[in-house]
Amino acid sequence: MVVIEKMIRSVYIHIPFCKNICSYCNFSKMYYNKDQVDRYLKALEKEIKSCYKNDIISTIYIGGGTPSDLGEDKLERLFKIVQMFKLDISYEFTFECNISITEEKLKILKKYGVNRLSFGIETVNDKFLNIMDRYHTRNEIRDKINTCRKLGFSNINGDLMYAFNGESLEDLRDDISFILSLNLEHISTYSLIIEEHTKLYLKKFTNCDEETDSKMYFMICDILNDNNYEHYEVSNFAKSGFRSKHNLTYWKNEKYYGFGLSASGYIDDIRYTNTGSISKYVDGFYKYEIEKMNKYDKISYEMILGLRTIEGIRLDEFYKKYKIKLEEVFDIRDLILQRCLIINEKRVYIPYDKWYVMNNILEKFVR
Amino acid sequence: MNQNNIRNFSIIAHIDHGKSTLADRILEECGALTEREIKNQVLDSMEIERERGITIKLNTATMKYKYNDEEYMLNLIDTPGHVDFSYEVSRSLASSDGAILVVDASQGIEAQTIANLYLAIENNLTIIPVINKIDLPNADVEKVKNELKELVGFSDEEIILTSAKTGIGIKELVCAIIDRVPSPKGNNASGLQALIFDSIFDSYRGVVISVRIFNGILRQGDTIKMHQSDKEYVVTELFVTTPKEEKVNSLSSGEVGHIVASIKDISTVKVGDTITSKENYEKESLPGYKPMKPMVFCGLYPIESVKFESLREALNKLKLNDASLEFSPETSNALGFGFRCGFLGLLHMDIIKERINREFGIEIITTAPSVIYEVESTNGEICEISSPSLMPDKSKTKEVREPFVKTNIFTPTDYIGPIMELCQDRRGKYISMDYIDKTRVNIHYEMPLSEIVYNFFDKLKSTTKGYASFDYEFIGNRPSDLVKMDILLNGEIIDALSTIVHKDFSYNRGKAVVEQLKESIPRQLFEIPIQASIGSHIIARSTVKALRKDVLAKCYGGDVSRKKKLLEKQKAGKKKMKKIGSVELSQEAFMSVLSVDGD
Repeated sequence: MVVIEKMIRSVYIHIPFCKNICSYCNFSKMYYNKDQVDRYLKALEKEIKSCYKNDIISTIYIGGGTPSDLGEDKLERLFKIVQMFKLDISYEFTFECNISITEEKLKILKKYGVNRLSFGIETVNDKFLNIMDRYHTRNEIRDKINTCRKLGFSNINGDLMYAFNGESLEDLRDDISFILSLNLEHISTYSLIIEEHTKLYLKKFTNCDEETDSKMYFMICDILNDNNYEHYEVSNFAKSGFRSKHNLTYWKNEKYYGFGLSASGYIDDIRYTNTGSISKYVDGFYKYEIEKMNKYDKISYEMILGLRTIEGIRLDEFYKKYKIKLEEVFDIRDLILQRCLIINEKRVYIPYDKWYVMNNILEKFVR
Repeated sequence: MNQNNIRNFSIIAHIDHGKSTLADRILEECGALTEREIKNQVLDSMEIERERGITIKLNTATMKYKYNDEEYMLNLIDTPGHVDFSYEVSRSLASSDGAILVVDASQGIEAQTIANLYLAIENNLTIIPVINKIDLPNADVEKVKNELKELVGFSDEEIILTSAKTGIGIKELVCAIIDRVPSPKGNNASGLQALIFDSIFDSYRGVVISVRIFNGILRQGDTIKMHQSDKEYVVTELFVTTPKEEKVNSLSSGEVGHIVASIKDISTVKVGDTITSKENYEKESLPGYKPMKPMVFCGLYPIESVKFESLREALNKLKLNDASLEFSPETSNALGFGFRCGFLGLLHMDIIKERINREFGIEIITTAPSVIYEVESTNGEICEISSPSLMPDKSKTKEVREPFVKTNIFTPTDYIGPIMELCQDRRGKYISMDYIDKTRVNIHYEMPLSEIVYNFFDKLKSTTKGYASFDYEFIGNRPSDLVKMDILLNGEIIDALSTIVHKDFSYNRGKAVVEQLKESIPRQLFEIPIQASIGSHIIARSTVKALRKDVLAKCYGGDVSRKKKLLEKQKAGKKKMKKIGSVELSQEAFMSVLSVDGD
């Protein structure tokens, strides 16, 4: 048991470069610059070498930024680095792509064992694409997905974003129908959040009103459920057998490596976030923020992450991990009375109809 | 010291006109402080006082000054500048023989200038008018001079121009104090009469009493006796403050100093009371004693109910130093156990709330402030009600009376219209208007105190872009057609949200309050109906919608710590809320019941 707890099975790698900056993105990103990329990959390799302890890895996720904006030679270089990891036989290897990714690059991905792709589709409505500074057409998307299928990619995710100011339920229904027509294995949905320091924030763009937001959430749930997507985590839907193993690492409060600029990881008892400064990073000063976890911090994370999923948290595993009962750590009587939390002999979870107000339930578990 | 060479004086001013800085300069001029020792405004010793730039607790400074080859003792008796503490002000003025009236050269005369000036005149003080801050670029010395001449009848020669910042005029001022303020005329051979003008509690020495000796001599070891409380204590220590403490063996007629006598209970030391001694007995009291009476009441409840005892302890400690603070336990079905507290005024209330939070670390919810209502029941009984929830049923009351005040509102003439509108909205009755000069007036209204206890001052400030100043005096209880308005959340009456309102205003008030509550009650996990009722009659309703979906953000690079931080932030935002049944209420919600115009 102890051995398994210590073993790290997931790796996140961040590629911060983009050829186009989207207006809503609050994530660590910068315009593509060839020399910078070389230095960055070198630093990345060093960071991995210094941390990675030869664990058998089950999931790798390369995100960004726009990793698919790397040139072919740089992609090769990146994958050479990734080859350092010893992979489990049933590994999942996800790569975040822009629709603009070329067939050649997809072939490289395939060659190095990428078996899951994630596309930021977000919307196909021109009005909102413009606002987001993203430019792709329905045909481009359809063609690109077909190319992926042809090359043998059988596990593809599409991101869908909603709740733009001015978006109607009909606009959203149109986006959903289009995404459904692609027959993807996995769909992630996000209500637009206008983060500070983004172009949208600076332009004082706003969300749609709360009533509409709520209607949109329930519409997405209804349509995707009807089309055999399982709503297994609050933002994620999957066809049977295609849940994201990598994300489940997070929700199960398991450990993972995070490499690259501003990436986060969880190793031993420490949750860390890397520096967001590229100059510091290439100079080898990786870590930026470190949070040491005691037992109760871990329990807190266990709850706020685990309760995001449809299964919730298994009580026997909880007890095995922490040697204490949930009720001894948190006073959950009110939540149970309000039917915000369901607890049976096996597990504790948030009933589906309360997912919409999940944050206010999760809040009770932060200390 | 020979009484002829003693001068006892105070400084009076509107808030922010530079009273404390001027005091510092005088101390410096008299060599009581080196510049290095002046930590801006030495006399304001409490942290809150310094932050708010106001003086709450009194302080004194005894200074020596050489003038025309003679040595003089100057006693500066500091006064709190605010209307809430006007009784304390009047007692410290009674201890003085002269007062420096400070007016800001750029602001001119304001409401508190006048209020304090009248108090000083009532106490027969010699007034030295001072125009301060003459170094400011927007100083208009001539205009302010004219105001002083017109309003109070000073002559040009009497007015001293100073800048406490640069030191201009300070020497002249100190000389004027010696030349103009009369020396005390006490008799050392008579029985002891010492006026208590302040007291503080010191955890090592007990109560420290500040007194002005009018007649007789007080010596260390004497047994003192208070006229009002009839208690006796042995003096263990006498000292003056220069402003450092300096022990003395005795205090004689005309002098100002402090008494330590192992007194544990500050309520036996009443400001305005007269002290005499067994050794030197005098049966006559000095005139002017009035018991202090709280005017404004509110409920204080700990957000965490386990902190009830800590809150009691905190209030007890604050009361050690503040005889005017009243409190008694109170139970609310909504808020649990707490205290109903009485304060001299709104500022006093704010300060106590802030000190409980800051010095004792207890988060509290306060109910809307109210006043004392006098209720005459049909059987002729009269009782005083300080909490709306205790208001008896309408059918059992013959008459309800509420305290009224008369206002002094100093304003540029441009704002007369909006101010009158504001006062009318608050049930004000117009009395008169005095022109100070062509551009400024003093407006008098008679208004119920209950209309002032909440945000009237803020409203006045915003209506007049900060130009108006405001003061009031209590003029008596008057009958009003008042009813109790209840607020229901989820169909249940929340007693802590009940208020007493005038019947004619009740519908509008009810509508405004439910709308205000709708905005200030955070969305919860359920829909919450809000209703306002008078008796069983619902007069307004609204609904708080169920909570919106919160952040379902993308998990950026596995940054789950970020998610936790967001939740922590969200939770911290609710920390100051009190849970009532299944509804969480913020302080804002408790205050919204008094908001009439929904902003």
